[in-house]
Parts: sequence; structure tokens; C-alpha cells
Amino acid sequence: MRARISCLMALVILALLPQQAALAADAKLALPSFQALESKASETVSITLDSPLIAMAARFLDSDKPEDAAARRAIAGITGIYVRSFTFDSDFAYPKADVDSVRRQLSAPGWQQLVQVHSRKERNDVDVYIRVEGNRANGLAIIASEPREFTIVNIVGSIDLQKLHELEGHFGIPQMDLTDKK
Amino acid sequence: MPVNPDLEQQLREALRRVDPAEGFAERVQARIERERLRPQRPRPALYRWAPQALAAALLMAALGLYGWHAQRERQGLEARQQLLEALRVTGQKLDLAYRGVKDAARPATAGDAGA
Repeated sequence: MRARISCLMALVILALLPQQAALAADAKLALPSFQALESKASETVSITLDSPLIAMAARFLDSDKPEDAAARRAIAGITGIYVRSFTFDSDFAYPKADVDSVRRQLSAPGWQQLVQVHSRKERNDVDVYIRVEGNRANGLAIIASEPREFTIVNIVGSIDLQKLHELEGHFGIPQMDLTDKK
Repeated sequence: MPVNPDLEQQLREALRRVDPAEGFAERVQARIERERLRPQRPRPALYRWAPQALAAALLMAALGLYGWHAQRERQGLEARQQLLEALRVTGQKLDLAYRGVKDAARPATAGDAGA
């Protein structure tokens, strides 16, 4: 089974090869304003980084810091990063309508669901989508619904999950075992 | 050296003392007063204020440049912070997905999660 997971992750990495920025335009999702969520949330993270801002941020990354160096590698080829994350004081306080409007966009041609996780134990759902155009991936979308947290991530451009994986340990993210250790 | 008497006479005639016309002194005084009261023609403003204007312009330019740099640095650091935060959230959620897949793959906990 571990071999299957490794194969899956390897396929993800292979699928998300560097691509032309021109193809990436449609990979940007029209994220709702989420005003209703903002008023209910105890904590809101709203990040909109387009190409010029990413370039500006990259100039301020210190290559001597491991965290910054990993970030620099991860953003190579990325032209947009959009994150909306809401934390609530009570369970499932967020309406499904906004989530559904995003999911509908991900049913459009080009988007493929890569991973769908539904955990009854932890009561969370995580869906990972990639957008593929001409055998090349030019977008990533993550929808994560947890009891007290709802997050949408949309990354536009050339994405290498392996590089994102390299961020582990730099941002307090536990190390993922991507290799098959039989 | 002998002096020509005619020339001497001519000089005496020419340089003889002549009383000024009547009112000459008053006219001179009046003219002096007029000159005093007449507004002085100012020096062109360009010449008068040029050094100060140049200094002020240089100061403003230096301040503007400093402000621009400070603002760019502030924006850059803010963008960097946002980028790191975005990558942190992305990594967290990918990790969540991975753990879900991993749990689903584990036979003992196969009923807990599905991927």
C-alpha cells in the first residue's frame, strides 16, 4: 500500500512539471469575498500574491536562512498564490454555499481531482486538485474543511510538490514520508 | 613757460563762478527725495531664491528617495511575510491530505478515513 502512496506522490510530482505562464491564467480561481465567513471567523488569513508581489517578496528572501531558501525554491515558476483561511470558535460554523461555489469552478475542464480525503475520525475533508493543460500542470487548488477551520489555497503557475514538500521542517510542518520504506 | 594771455582770459571766462539758477537747490533736494521714495527695482526672484530653492529641492529629493526606499522595503518585507505564511498554510494542508491518504492505507485504521 505504501508503494501505491509513493507512486501516487511520484505521479503528482511528475505531473506538475514546469510550464508556460501563459497557460496559467485559467488556473486562477474566482474566490468569493467570504464576507459572511469573515464576520463569523475568530481568525482570518487572506493572502493574495500575484506575480509582481511574489517577485518583490523573493527579493527579500534571505538565502542564508533555510526557511527562506526553501521558499525561494518552492516559488520558482509560480505566478500567483491565493490563500483564504478562516478559524472559528465553534464546529462547522461556516456555510457550505461559498465552498460549493469554489468546488463548481474545479469541476470545469482542465481541473483534475488528485486527492480526496475524508476522515471521519478527525472530521475533516481535504481535496487537492491540479489543473492540467497540454500534459502540463499549471495550477493547484486545495480545499480543506476541518471542524473549526476552512481553507482554500490556489496556486497558479509551475508547481512542484516536491519543492513544497521541502518546506517541511522549515515551517513547523512535520516531515512527510514520501519514500517507500519496505 | 610763458602763458598765452588770451588763453588765460578764455579760461577765466569759462570757469568763472556762476550762481545756480533760482530754485536749483530745491529741485535737487526734491529729486533726491523722489529717488529715495521710488520703490527699488527688485532683483529677479530667480537669482534671489535660487540657492534656497536648490537646497530645498535637493532636500526634498533626498527625503522622497528615502521615503520611497523605506516604503519599498516595508512592502517587500510584508510580501515576504505573506509568502511564507501562504507556503506554511499550503504545506500544512498538503500534509493533512497526505496523512489522510496514509491513514487510509493503514489496514488497522482503514475504516477511519478514505482517500
